[in-house]
Amino acid sequence: MYDAPNTLGDTVDQTETKISARNVQVFYGDNHAIKDVNVDIENKSVTAFIGPSGCGKSTFLRCINRMNDTIDICRVEGDILLDGEDICDKKVDPVQLRAKVGMVFQKPNPFPKSIYDNVAYGPRIHGLAKNKADLDEIVEKSLRRGAIWNEVKDRLHAPGTGLSGGQQQRLCIARAIATEPEVLLMDEPCSALDPIATAQVEELIDELRHQYALVIVTHSMQQAARVSQKTAFFHLGNLVEYGDTSQIFTNPKDERTESYITGRIG
Amino acid sequence: MTDASLPNGGAKSRHGSLTSVDARTKKRNTAEKRFRAYGVVAIATGILFLMVLLYAIITSGAGAFQQTFIKVPVYLDPAKLDKKGERNIDDIKKVSTFGYNPLIQNAVLKAVEDAGIETPLKKSKDMKALISASAAAQVRSSVIENPALIGQTVDFKFLASSRVDGYLKDRVKREDLARDKNIDAEHLDIVDGLMEAGVLKKTFNPAFIFGADASESRAEQAGIGVSMIGSFFMMLVVLFLALPIGVAASIYLEEFAPKNRWTDLIEVNISNLAAVPSIVFGILGLAVFIQFIHLPQSAPLVGGLVLTLMTLPTIIISTRASLKSVPPSIRDAALGVGASKMQSVFHHVLPLAAPGILTGTIIGLAQALGETAPLLLIGMVGYIASNAPDGIASGLLDPNSAMPAQIYEWAKRADPAYYERAWGGIIILLIFLVTMNTLAVFLRRRFERRW
Repeated sequence: MYDAPNTLGDTVDQTETKISARNVQVFYGDNHAIKDVNVDIENKSVTAFIGPSGCGKSTFLRCINRMNDTIDICRVEGDILLDGEDICDKKVDPVQLRAKVGMVFQKPNPFPKSIYDNVAYGPRIHGLAKNKADLDEIVEKSLRRGAIWNEVKDRLHAPGTGLSGGQQQRLCIARAIATEPEVLLMDEPCSALDPIATAQVEELIDELRHQYALVIVTHSMQQAARVSQKTAFFHLGNLVEYGDTSQIFTNPKDERTESYITGRIG
Repeated sequence: MTDASLPNGGAKSRHGSLTSVDARTKKRNTAEKRFRAYGVVAIATGILFLMVLLYAIITSGAGAFQQTFIKVPVYLDPAKLDKKGERNIDDIKKVSTFGYNPLIQNAVLKAVEDAGIETPLKKSKDMKALISASAAAQVRSSVIENPALIGQTVDFKFLASSRVDGYLKDRVKREDLARDKNIDAEHLDIVDGLMEAGVLKKTFNPAFIFGADASESRAEQAGIGVSMIGSFFMMLVVLFLALPIGVAASIYLEEFAPKNRWTDLIEVNISNLAAVPSIVFGILGLAVFIQFIHLPQSAPLVGGLVLTLMTLPTIIISTRASLKSVPPSIRDAALGVGASKMQSVFHHVLPLAAPGILTGTIIGLAQALGETAPLLLIGMVGYIASNAPDGIASGLLDPNSAMPAQIYEWAKRADPAYYERAWGGIIILLIFLVTMNTLAVFLRRRFERRW
């Protein structure tokens, strides 16, 4: 049995654990999609989940902000602790959780509203701005942090759906950080983007890691190698290997990891 | 690489030459051509039927918008209308319409003589067949309104009787007069003369659009206006009940309800309800709203409630379809920034689904507007001698009819003049339906969002 926390032990230096998952199981009806996953995600760093399609990495990501609640047949067991609090607890309101754990999706999905309203929506519903000036400031700050401010500052009231794919995705990132989350989950954020837009988003991810705990699911091993500090390899619902990115890509301990990163399976 | 080794080009390849069509391709192409031809024939047939329908409706119904009027000066004889000569309004009111008839008939006879028409009909009573029975009431009400008119000679514009109108519209023919007890050939001679003299005129008749229904013997007086108001009040009830209930039910079923055997059952039943014959809803309305709750009969409120039941499935089905068509990524996006389920639905999903919901609602309303069968059972079909209601409460609770019910009622009556009015009513009803459907298309185009 592979024991993830052990390999973690020797790399912890001045980092704190933001999220720790213990014995997480996910079932879709009778299908056991995630099997006994244990993982500790560090604050202010990028953790990449890699693995072949259908291995459960997205499913596990969606457990962290309880997006799986929206799927009727989905059942999650085990504990996921965010700052030591179990998010699967019945007392936890998923709405409150999602304000703390933002998410960016695979396909850019701006609301069919103006760019301004896209970013302002989260702060508005959470009551983060006292007045219009406050809100303007939050929107500007978020768009700046989303590295898209210069491109859209002159057309904040144009529809967000009119932007290019890469811009839309950065807008979605800006929208996610406007609610001041502590964790940002990204589900294959670059899979619908061209290499240039991908590079922009990756650069952005690298900047964002100074403030947030980022978790990114990706199909591209190069991307995982470029942006992440930690990498977790999922296979058939199991967390096969978890460790420093450099170690996973240069010196994988598990045979399956090695097969995957060298392209023999997957 | 392998192509280079083929010396004779494509002609000898397994597929044969591309320049000649092989048998199999030919067969497939003919099949496609045949299918296209079927399509064209089907559409042409459809258009042909539509044209025939429109032609029939317009040619048969256009006449209803025109009516023959007879314009004569009437001497309001004080000796007949106010015997005491005190101009006391109560005394004037005692004279019934019977007292006015001779005055009107005299006036018409005088007009006939003035026009120099040779006729064996010399008595004023003979003129009765020419004018509508409504004429006396028309004179009486203007006298009661203004008693100072008594003693004067006033110009009045009366409706001609439906036979005269029918003669001028080619509905009443001279050959058929032998069987007609209401009018003779001599009368028609007078009509021809009066037409020449300009006393009789066929003009646009706004009373057909705005007026109330009339009794069986006064076809010339009947109008669809009051039943239009009845339809309007029913549509109000349908709109204010079916839209919120339907939309709320669809949102719950589509977005919130757990997917289990119960919701499946409800879903199947809603689809089935949409196909239930409307008369079933009518008898349900009769049993529940009238016999059990004791709401008044023939009231637009009851009609509206019944039509609400009938329209709900349509609205629910179209609303659910438009909610379903909103991409789930929008819901994810809203939930992802921490919106609650309700916020994601009301802030994002519903606005995107709104054009579809509106279209469905308008189509449902249009369907309800044209519905007749359930109204039969709650007493909204029949001669309902109502005038325009004077308020919302009386509009909802006073007996009234509805446009399609009024048309059905007219089509049922014996006088062929009513047949023409039924067609005319159809034209008005169709104008409403076309307007509503155009509005639906317009709203869908206007508010459609792309994402």
